[in-house]
Amino acid sequence: MAKKRSPRKNMESGEIPMTPMIDVVFQLLIYFILTIKPVDVSAHLDVFSPSTKSAPSDQKPPEMLKVEIYQGAILMNGTGLDMAGLTKILGKLAAINPKQTVMILCSLDSRHNDLVEVLDACAKVGLTNLSVGSMQ
Amino acid sequence: MARRSTEEVGMNMTPMIDIVFQLIIFFVVTTDLDRQVFNEAILLAFSPNGPSIEKRDPRTVTIEVDTKGRIYIAHRPIDKDMLTNLLRQARLSGGQTTPVQIRGDQNAKHESVRNVMQSCGKAGLYRISFVATKEKAAPRKP
Repeated sequence: MAKKRSPRKNMESGEIPMTPMIDVVFQLLIYFILTIKPVDVSAHLDVFSPSTKSAPSDQKPPEMLKVEIYQGAILMNGTGLDMAGLTKILGKLAAINPKQTVMILCSLDSRHNDLVEVLDACAKVGLTNLSVGSMQ
Repeated sequence: MARRSTEEVGMNMTPMIDIVFQLIIFFVVTTDLDRQVFNEAILLAFSPNGPSIEKRDPRTVTIEVDTKGRIYIAHRPIDKDMLTNLLRQARLSGGQTTPVQIRGDQNAKHESVRNVMQSCGKAGLYRISFVATKEKAAPRKP
C-alpha cells in the first residue's frame, strides 16, 4: 500500500507541514510578478539659481556664455542656433575651458523640455557650471 | 530524505521552494516604494547624457510641476507661498545644502518652473537640479 502524507502524520513525525507555506509563497510570487513595473532611469541636471542677494563678483563677463531659450528658438550670445549646432559649439568651447559658466535664460513661455535639452547638451560636452535664470 | 521521496514517487519540492524564495527576495528588494510618491502623469523630458541618480540624499525635497503649472509635493497640490514655507522648514531642518529636485513635465512652461525656483531662492536653497529621464524602461501603455 502506498504511503500517503497526511497532516496528522506530519505532526506525528515532527515535520512542519510545508503545503500552506508553499501556497502563501506562491501567492506572494504571483503578486510581485503582476505588480512589478520597469522603472525609467532618472538623470539629475544640477544648476545654480542666480541669487539676487549675493552675486558672485569674481566671474568675468567675457567668459560667460549666454544661452537664451525662447518658445521654439535658441540663441547663443545673440545668434540663433538649432540643438545640433549648439551642442557642437558648446563642445568646442568646453574643450577650451570646461569650467566656463553657462548662463541659461529662459523666456516665461518657453517649454521646460527645451531647457532640459540645453542642460543635456551641456552635460554631454562636460560643462558643469550652469546657471538658470528667467527673462522677464 | 531523497530516498523517501523517490519511494513515494513524489516531486522533490526543496529546489523549487529555494528558487521561489530567491525570486521573492529579489522582488521584495527591487520593489521601489519611492516611485509611488511621484505623480506618474508627469512626463519628464529626455536627457540621455545627464548623470544618473544613484544615491539620493535623504534630505532631498522633490517638487513636481505638471503641464498646467500646478505644483505638487508627494501628490499634494500646493501653492507658491506654502511651498516657500515648506522649503524654509526644510532649510531649517536640513541646512542650506538641502538638495531640491524639480520634476517638471516636458510641456510645462518655464514660468511655472521659475515659480518653484523663486520659492527655493526665497527659502535660501540653491542646490537645485532638474530631473529628467535618462533611459526609458519598457514602452508604456498609452
